[in-house]
Amino acid sequence: MKLPSLFRRTPFRLTLLFLALFAAAASAVLAYVYFASASEAQARAEADVRAETSVLTALYRTRGVDVLNQALVERVTKRSPYLYLLMRADGSKITGDLSVTERSPAGTTNGPLTNVSPIENYRGGEQWATFRFTDTDAAGNVVRNQALGVQVTLSGGEMLLVAEDLGDTEKYLSRLTQALWAAMGMVLLLGAGGGLILSRNVERAMGRLNRVVTAVQEGDLKARVEVRRSGDELDELGAGLNAMLDRLQASMASIRHAGDAIAHDLRSPLTRMRAKLEVALIDAEAGKIDGVDALQLSLSEADELLKTFNTVLAIARLQAAAGRTPDPEKFDAGSLAADMAELYEPAAEDKGLEFSAEIETGLLIEANRPFLAQALANVIDNAIKYTPAGGAVMLRARRRSSGDIEFSITDTGPGVPDADRGRVVERFVRLDNSRTEPGSGLGLSLVAAVLEAHGGRVQLDEGPGEYGGFGPGLRVALILPAAAT
Amino acid sequence: MRILVVEDDAEAATAMVRGLTEAGNDVVHAVDGAFGLLEAQKGGYDVYVVDRMMPRLDGIGMVETLRKDGDQTPVLFLSAMGEVEDRVTGLKAGGDDYLVKPYAFAELIARVDALARRRETGGVQTVLKVGDLEMNLIARTVHRGTTEIDLQPREFQLLEFLMRHAGQSVTRTMLLEKVWEYHFDPQTNVIDVHISRLRAKIDKGFEHAMLQTVRGAGYRLEP
Repeated sequence: MKLPSLFRRTPFRLTLLFLALFAAAASAVLAYVYFASASEAQARAEADVRAETSVLTALYRTRGVDVLNQALVERVTKRSPYLYLLMRADGSKITGDLSVTERSPAGTTNGPLTNVSPIENYRGGEQWATFRFTDTDAAGNVVRNQALGVQVTLSGGEMLLVAEDLGDTEKYLSRLTQALWAAMGMVLLLGAGGGLILSRNVERAMGRLNRVVTAVQEGDLKARVEVRRSGDELDELGAGLNAMLDRLQASMASIRHAGDAIAHDLRSPLTRMRAKLEVALIDAEAGKIDGVDALQLSLSEADELLKTFNTVLAIARLQAAAGRTPDPEKFDAGSLAADMAELYEPAAEDKGLEFSAEIETGLLIEANRPFLAQALANVIDNAIKYTPAGGAVMLRARRRSSGDIEFSITDTGPGVPDADRGRVVERFVRLDNSRTEPGSGLGLSLVAAVLEAHGGRVQLDEGPGEYGGFGPGLRVALILPAAAT
Repeated sequence: MRILVVEDDAEAATAMVRGLTEAGNDVVHAVDGAFGLLEAQKGGYDVYVVDRMMPRLDGIGMVETLRKDGDQTPVLFLSAMGEVEDRVTGLKAGGDDYLVKPYAFAELIARVDALARRRETGGVQTVLKVGDLEMNLIARTVHRGTTEIDLQPREFQLLEFLMRHAGQSVTRTMLLEKVWEYHFDPQTNVIDVHISRLRAKIDKGFEHAMLQTVRGAGYRLEP
C-alpha cells in the first residue's frame, strides 16, 4: 500500500485526526500536572521552611545566639533536610551549610566587596527567594540544585537563612515529564499502527463491496457481497446491497418476462395483420375490394396491439410501484361504484342481462381513481361478456367487518373452475372456453396488479350456484384497505 | 382555423400537418419550443398543438411562458407520457387538453376542433339550440320541435356536450373524459350503448336523424 493513497483513505485520516486531538488533550493534561505538582512542591517547601524558621527564631529569642549556633551545627551534622546560614550583621558567615559570596554591591562593578548571602539584594525583614546552590550528590558528583529559602534579621542584628533543597522535587518533575512524553509517544505509535490496521480492514471490506458494485456496473447482476455475519455496519451494508440486487434482479426478470410475453402476444395479431394486408393488396390489385376497407381493418388491429402494449406497461408500472399506490387521492368508493354501474348498466341490459347494484356510501378510500376504475371496468366487462343472455350481473360495494372496502361483481355465467382461479390472474392466461371471445388475457392480471399496488387483493369465488341452466357463476371481489381517517 | 403545431419529431409533424390541413385548417409547424414560442408570439392562432418533450424549450415551459404573457389560446398537449401526474402537470402548466401518443387522427382533429370551438362560444348560455333541438340549461328541459324529451341526468349531460360541439366529430374517449370524467379504457363500447339510448329518445319518430355516427371517429350532432 503506497503512503499517498493511504492518506486519502477515510479510516486513516480519521485516525490521524483523533491522534492529533488526543495529543493536544494530552499536552494540556501534562502541562496541568506539571504546574500543579511544581506549585504543590513549592507550597509544601514554603510551609516547612516557615515552621523551621519559627522554631529557630524562638530558640534565639529565649536562649541567645550561641544556643542557636549550637543547634544549627547539630542540625548540619545530622544532615537535616534543611539548609542553614547564620550571618553577622555585616553579612559574614557564623555557621551553616551554605556559604556567602563576596562581591561588589548590586549595580557596581568595582569598589569594596561585601558579603552576599544566597538571597541576593536582601533589604531586611523577612525575604523569600529561590536560588541555586552547589552541592554534592550521593554519588559524589557536583550538582547545582534549586532551593527555596527565607532570610530574617534577628533582634541582635544577626541574619538567619533557612532553605529547603528542591532538588528532589525537580527530579520528580522531570521524571514525570519524561514518563508523560514517553506515554504520549507510545500512544501516537499505537494509534498510528491501529489506524493503519483499521484502515486496511475497512479497505478490505470496502474492496469487497466495490468489487460487487463494479461487477454489477459491468452487467453481472449475479454478483453478491460475501456477508460475514459479524453484524457490523459494513455487513449490514453488504446485506442491504445484496437485498437491493435481489430485488433488482427480480424486477429485471419480471420485465424480461413481460417483454417476452409482449413479444409472444404481439406475434399472433401482427401475423394476422400482415396476412390481412397481403390479402387486401392482392384483392385490391385484382379490383375485387375497396382498399380503404382493408386499411381500416388493419388500423383496428393496430389499435388492439397498442392496447395490449399499454396494458402490459401499466401492469409493469404497478408492479414496479411495489405496494405504493401511484398518485393516490381520497374519494368515496361508493361514488366510483355508482358511476361504473351507471356506465355499464345499459350495455348489460342490451345483452339481455339483469344488472343490479347494491352500494353503500361513505366508503372512503385512498386510491388511484383511474386505475381502480379500470380494474372495476375489466371485471364488469368480463361478467357481461361471459354471462349468457337471461343471466344476471350484480355490483356491490360495502365495508367488510374487518373494515376493508370490498367491491364485488357476481355473475351467473359458467364461472371459473376452482383449479383455474389462481391461474386466471396471470398474464396472458385465457381459459379454453374464452378463446372465442376477443381479449388479450391481461384483464385480470391488470386487476390483480392494481389491487396489489393498493395493498389489497383480488378474490375469486363461485357465484350463486347452478339453476335453470345458468351458473355456477363467478364472484370477483376487489378488497382494499379503507383510507385512514 | 389557424393551428400552430410544435413538434420536434419531423415524421410525426409531417403526418400531423398533413392530417390537420386535409381537415381544412391552416397549419404552421415549429420544430421546438423556442421556435414555437416565437411563432406563437406573432399571434393569430386558434389552437396550439404542443409536444411535451422537446429540445431547447419543452412544451410545458413554452406554454407557461405564453400564459404568463396573457396568451389564452387553447393548448392541446401531446405526450408519450400518459400517467395521471403527467396529465395533471400538463393541465396545470396551462394546457386545455391532453392527448397521449400514439393517437388516431380522428381523435386529434376532434379535440382540436373542440378546443377552437370552445373559444368561439365563450360567455354563459342558458339555452342551447341545434336545428329544432332546444335545451334549457336552467329548467333542465329538452324539446325537439314541440315534443318534450325526457332525459336521465347523464343523458342530459351527454346531449349538452354534443350540442356544445354540434357539427363536430366527438370521439368515444372524449365523451368518457368530458361527460363521465374518467380516464380509462372501458373495454367494450359502453359509450355506444349510451349514445344509442340517447338517439332513440331524440331521433325516434322524427324524419331527420340528428345524431350521426362518424365512421372511424365517433359521433356528430347535425342540425
